[in-house]
Amino acid sequence: MSFKTLVKASFAQTIYFLKNVKAMLITFLLWPYLMLGLILGAGLMFGSTASFKQNIGLNVDPIVFFIASSVVALISISLMWGVAGSVLELRWIGALPYVILAPHRFSITLVVSYIPNYLLIASLQILEFAPLIILIEGLEIGLLKIAILFLALIVGMLPLMGFAALFASFLISIKEESNILAWLNPIILLFSGAFYPAYLLPRWAQFISWLLPSTYTIELARLSALIGAPKLSTITFMIGVLLGMALVYNSIASALMGAGERKALREGIIE
Amino acid sequence: MNATELRGIIWLHMLRLWRYKWSFLNLVISEAMWMFIFILGVLLFVPSEYMAVACKGAFWIIVSWLIISQVSMTMGGWMQFFISLGMVEEHILRGISPFKVIMGRVVPGLSVTAGTMLFMAFILNTTFKTDVTSMGNPALICLGLVFLMIQALSYGLILSAISVKTGIPHSMLEFTSFLIVGLLLIPIENFQFPLNLILLAIPYVAPVNLVKDGAFGTSILVVESVVLSLVISGIFIYLAIKFMRSAEKLIKTEGVKAIGLM
Repeated sequence: MSFKTLVKASFAQTIYFLKNVKAMLITFLLWPYLMLGLILGAGLMFGSTASFKQNIGLNVDPIVFFIASSVVALISISLMWGVAGSVLELRWIGALPYVILAPHRFSITLVVSYIPNYLLIASLQILEFAPLIILIEGLEIGLLKIAILFLALIVGMLPLMGFAALFASFLISIKEESNILAWLNPIILLFSGAFYPAYLLPRWAQFISWLLPSTYTIELARLSALIGAPKLSTITFMIGVLLGMALVYNSIASALMGAGERKALREGIIE
Repeated sequence: MNATELRGIIWLHMLRLWRYKWSFLNLVISEAMWMFIFILGVLLFVPSEYMAVACKGAFWIIVSWLIISQVSMTMGGWMQFFISLGMVEEHILRGISPFKVIMGRVVPGLSVTAGTMLFMAFILNTTFKTDVTSMGNPALICLGLVFLMIQALSYGLILSAISVKTGIPHSMLEFTSFLIVGLLLIPIENFQFPLNLILLAIPYVAPVNLVKDGAFGTSILVVESVVLSLVISGIFIYLAIKFMRSAEKLIKTEGVKAIGLM
């Protein structure tokens, strides 16, 4: 089984899943708009856009700001737990021993098979917000901002894969039958500055946020919320940081995932 | 329900709560943190001088929503699990209604709500140096929360009765949950008669208005909210009983749509 087959199979699985489970497709398309609507609605009920700009300290559009936040937050969570959570799912359906005994390393199978899903979901979410962004920013600037969002999601995927594999390696070696690490989702998003910029957090929290790849993905995506065109140097810097983090996290994950797999095989706690 | 049955049901749910203590803790922390992220996003719109008032308002709305979602979801979402374990047939054969067992889910539901509420209050109080739990009229808050629990419990039982007959997509429950948050945010005081009464007649809105009044020590449409809460709670209880009886009848005549363990 080649990687091409793995990617192809995963792509087909995602397409058929969305095609056959209509309720899931509708939820998936509506969810980001519901989230955006709720935050903007509640925010405007309690305050105003002028206060928003004052609190943020930047000249940003709140709608594009929260579009970028919602898309990156949902996609990051989806990647992290799509990879790590599949360990639990495979365990529940009794397929974990077969996947772990397959020719490819288990960690590689988990990560590679999630890439098509990620790309498809990211593209669909950006496409569904594209009309709104173009409506707010105009065609030329709107397209530029959509491109920045897409770039952030693509480059941001690389370190997140390593990050997700770390969780997977932990989940494979524990005996719990539910995702007892789900509480980490909101905490990671909080420190990444998902809906509240990381630079407004206390100093100790900012230190944690620097270590998280999702912080830079969110910051890169949020450049699209600035009024006018963002600076190329800032975009390049963020991409550089994300690529560096990709190298670090994927190296750590590769070593730890191997240890997790060996422990699972040795102790027989894979089903 | 006799005392032995009640003791057995409460014991079962307490035992499960203890068995899944890590899941319980996980749920409390994650619920509170999700809410906190959401509140932080909303508070970005609020001028600093109104932060304390906005925090308190957001806290009590979230407490109300937690009661509604936890009490109704932990029951409504459990019936399929209960059926797949084969426990519905087991209980019917022993003369105990499966809905009585489902009702016991109120134990984990309220435990998660209480844990999340306390954790949320701690986070908000320490972050924003405020006191979100201060109450203008505690009795009114308690009354509002009791009405909310009755309506949510009935809604949960209706959901579990429906799920005996047909599957309910989880996504539909999530949409409903979002819709409810939207309803709870409605500022009733900004609407004139008769629109304010029409809005109060929507399930959950009147009890939440009582909670808001109790939190801020105001008395906006208190009598109307109590009367409408009573009427709507009565209708909810009636509907829950009707749905449960109909579902039990269906189970006894046609069986449940799952493979049991008998």
